[in-house]
Amino acid sequence: MKPVPDQDQLYFEAAEAFGPALQRLARATEANEERRRDLLQDMHVALWRSFARFDGRCSLRTWVYRVAHNTAATHVDRERRTRRDTVDIDAAGELAGADSLARQLEERDGVNRLNAWIRRLKPPDRQVITLYLEDLGADAIAEITGFTPGAVATRISRLKTQLAKDFKETTHV
Amino acid sequence: MSERDPLQSLWIHQQQENFKMTTAQLRQHATRFQSKIRTRNRIEYAAAALVIGVFAWMIAIIPEPMVRAGAGLIILGALYVCWKLHTLAGAADAGGLDHAASLADFHRSELLRQRMALAAVWKWYLAPFVPGMLVFIGAVAFTPELDAPLIARVTLFATTAAPIAAVFGLVAWLNARAVKALDKKIKALEEAG
Repeated sequence: MKPVPDQDQLYFEAAEAFGPALQRLARATEANEERRRDLLQDMHVALWRSFARFDGRCSLRTWVYRVAHNTAATHVDRERRTRRDTVDIDAAGELAGADSLARQLEERDGVNRLNAWIRRLKPPDRQVITLYLEDLGADAIAEITGFTPGAVATRISRLKTQLAKDFKETTHV
Repeated sequence: MSERDPLQSLWIHQQQENFKMTTAQLRQHATRFQSKIRTRNRIEYAAAALVIGVFAWMIAIIPEPMVRAGAGLIILGALYVCWKLHTLAGAADAGGLDHAASLADFHRSELLRQRMALAAVWKWYLAPFVPGMLVFIGAVAFTPELDAPLIARVTLFATTAAPIAAVFGLVAWLNARAVKALDKKIKALEEAG
């Protein structure tokens, strides 16, 4: 592939600004450490390749999140067809008791449990909730996902309720 | 200014690994991806070459004209499949999926691509072998050199053709089922937006 003049520069700019977000997305997508690292590499390679055709149709942030999430979705689809052991469905079912959701999740492995919960979701829900957790507003999420802002807001509200319910339920088991 | 959701704080402050890729590594990985696709295509071509070799060898050693005609048709079928593989691989290289498309558009394109591939595979991957197989099996079963009554010949033809038809039928049924499942997903995606 012949690189265009700004391809490398754009990539390094994006990797610097959004590298941590890509790592978080990889963690919320793939439970296996080795495959997660492969996925992260795939995201970076896809991003670098995509900048050969960067056409300014959207902001750099939107572009990066689209490429990363589309790469993650392809990974999930491929893994589902080839493996059956990628999703740790029961991981969210072992929460220790605590009064507030935030306190539960602040426990040592709270992040792991949150990631496990996200991995159980269907792709559109997974994409919306991870973008929400990245502190993006409904409009920004709508631009990335292609859903309407209203549909995004409804989905976020539903997912937050579901998250609270799932985590609370485990404290009463 | 609104307060940040505690979940967002927890999420953002996750521990980070030290991960960086150099341009050399990026290029190396991109090349590896292309070479994987080339290897997969080479395996398909090698399988077609094997089929062509075996049936060409039969044409050379079997004098029966109808058997040779059947073998010739199977070779033509294999050549057609090779040509389709070549043109489809070229189209995939040129078009590819647009990773910078919105997530819904990307998902829809991927589902449509899978649907098209599944719906068409019967036509270009299996059907080209049908005429050759029928002529070949028929010629073997009804050759004048075989000293057997008609019922035995028909039985031979049917018992040879039936398993092949069953495999073709099974593939067609599985594909139709997969296409139906994809249609459901496409519909759900359209309703979700």
